[in-house]
Amino acid sequence: MTESALKQNLIPDKKIAYWELNNNTSFWSKAFIKQLKFKPREVDTSLNYFLDSIIHENYREAFKDNFYNLVRNDVDFRQKLLLKNRSGGYSEFICKTNDELKISLNKESTKTIFFFKSKLKTHKKVRDNNFYYLETATMTSTGSWYIDFEKKKSYWDDITRKILEYPEDFIPSLKMAYKLYSEEHQALASSAFFECSLSGKPFDLEILMVTAKNRKFWARAMGKPVFNDNKEIVGLRGIFQDIDDIKQKELYLEKTSKIIETQNSRLFNFAHIVSHNLRSHSSNLSLIMDLIGDVESKEEKLELINNIKDVSNSLNTTIEHLNEVVTIQTNAQQSKEIVSLSKTLDQVTTSINQIIKSKKVTIVSDFSKGDKVNYIPAYMDSILLNLITNAIKYKHAERDPLIEISTLLDFKDNDRLVLNIKDNGSGIDLDKFGDKLFGMYKTFHYNEDARGIGLFITKNQIESLNGEINVASIVNVGTTFTIKF
Amino acid sequence: MKDKIHLACIIDDDSIYINLIKKIIETKKLCENLLVFNDGKEGIEYFEALLQNLDEKNIPEVILLDINMPIMDGWEFIERFTKIKNKFNSHITLYLVSSSIDVRDIDKAKSLSTVENYLVKPVKIDELEAVFNKTA
Repeated sequence: MTESALKQNLIPDKKIAYWELNNNTSFWSKAFIKQLKFKPREVDTSLNYFLDSIIHENYREAFKDNFYNLVRNDVDFRQKLLLKNRSGGYSEFICKTNDELKISLNKESTKTIFFFKSKLKTHKKVRDNNFYYLETATMTSTGSWYIDFEKKKSYWDDITRKILEYPEDFIPSLKMAYKLYSEEHQALASSAFFECSLSGKPFDLEILMVTAKNRKFWARAMGKPVFNDNKEIVGLRGIFQDIDDIKQKELYLEKTSKIIETQNSRLFNFAHIVSHNLRSHSSNLSLIMDLIGDVESKEEKLELINNIKDVSNSLNTTIEHLNEVVTIQTNAQQSKEIVSLSKTLDQVTTSINQIIKSKKVTIVSDFSKGDKVNYIPAYMDSILLNLITNAIKYKHAERDPLIEISTLLDFKDNDRLVLNIKDNGSGIDLDKFGDKLFGMYKTFHYNEDARGIGLFITKNQIESLNGEINVASIVNVGTTFTIKF
Repeated sequence: MKDKIHLACIIDDDSIYINLIKKIIETKKLCENLLVFNDGKEGIEYFEALLQNLDEKNIPEVILLDINMPIMDGWEFIERFTKIKNKFNSHITLYLVSSSIDVRDIDKAKSLSTVENYLVKPVKIDELEAVFNKTA
């Protein structure tokens, strides 16, 4: 019997395999029973029997969900499934409900599931299917797991054991579950599992896992609840997939794109600075030319020509400064070497020994948390020199400069080395000057030797090596510069 | 033509530019006296102090203000100046004069009622004459 014949008749025919449900009765058509090679009355037509003894386990969960949805929520479905006949062989069927067939049987409250036998031979298919599942699982490094709440046990397949680097005969337990996740992700894992087991909310996470050999790797963890016939959650099932390769590439890309982004914004900034700084000179030049054309006397014209010399000098200075910045960017490609902070500090203090003595500067240093960093030595020199001379230059009028230099490891940021340079100077009003502090040609004090280039250079040197510099300051108390290498 | 401006004020950190403007003012006899401040901070301090002792001959009729200056920039000067400008009993015309051609700067200047106009450096001699004649 075909689908079209069924549609024409609109009434279930003797030759049609179907399963009819009406309130508490469950009826299998003769044709259905015959196709399963049973004799009428010999077969138990209950859902449980169907699930336990007839449907192939690979299709069981999906069918159960569909079945409950049909009975309780009137949701129609179609599904492929394998059914076992009395002699143990499997046949493939497509099952469909009323709506899927676009027919109306005019029977209120009766639900009918029709079974159409597929033409494919099956025994081999089951074997093939298993083969393909295993192939797919192996090639995609996807292992599956099951947690049984009633038996309080968890089960892993071979691939789960393999990606977690546990021996083939390892028996997992619920107690060890937290050990599977990296410390920083344990809370994430436990809340996902907890929520799934309580409210049935499925999860799909990218999470850092830890293998038996204590190796961390990125995994995709998916899970969903398993229901019993009373729709109670009795377990969780899901997969772990090793996505370390992909995730590492993703993280690397993310990092690269961040570096490119900051480089780009630095370049943009620099282009802006170049254009602005050169424009002010060129506009002075054109104003001078304008005036030369306007004045009458020779003396006045000569005097203006002298002005060109001034413009030319300051243009040169500007270009030297810009050059200094460009050199930083190119020098960043230079080879780094292990630099000792304490040794660099010694060199710097020796070189400015005169100033230190005359201004009665005290420098206290503590590099016990970290003294060595892979860096361009000339930059380290320049950074320390700049920040120390700044601290001296902007000392408090009423006290001798005290500069405290120390390092620490930032545990929140992969134990990056952080250098703190703290002074007791006059401080900077950061509310006013914060965003300009590291800008070019910005000075914040009426000191004559302030040329507004030092901190700009320092920041560029640090950033060209992918570091960060930040500042905290209180007026009349002092300033602390924090450098992350 | 009306009387000449008796006092003008330049706030700019570029000493070469200031000298050139001085020269133009002298040559063209655009005003009698000129006040010069090298930074917004010095400038605003002058005006704030002036409030204590309002002497008309010390109040400039026109201000030529730069934007980019090291300690206090033109924007902050305008912010503080706007708060006190109505206390001078005379109108002070303020021009922004900057080499910045950044659209953001130009738009910001246009949005401020305190700013009469935005002049891009290099300023032409006749432009400057127009500013002084218009104000006078």
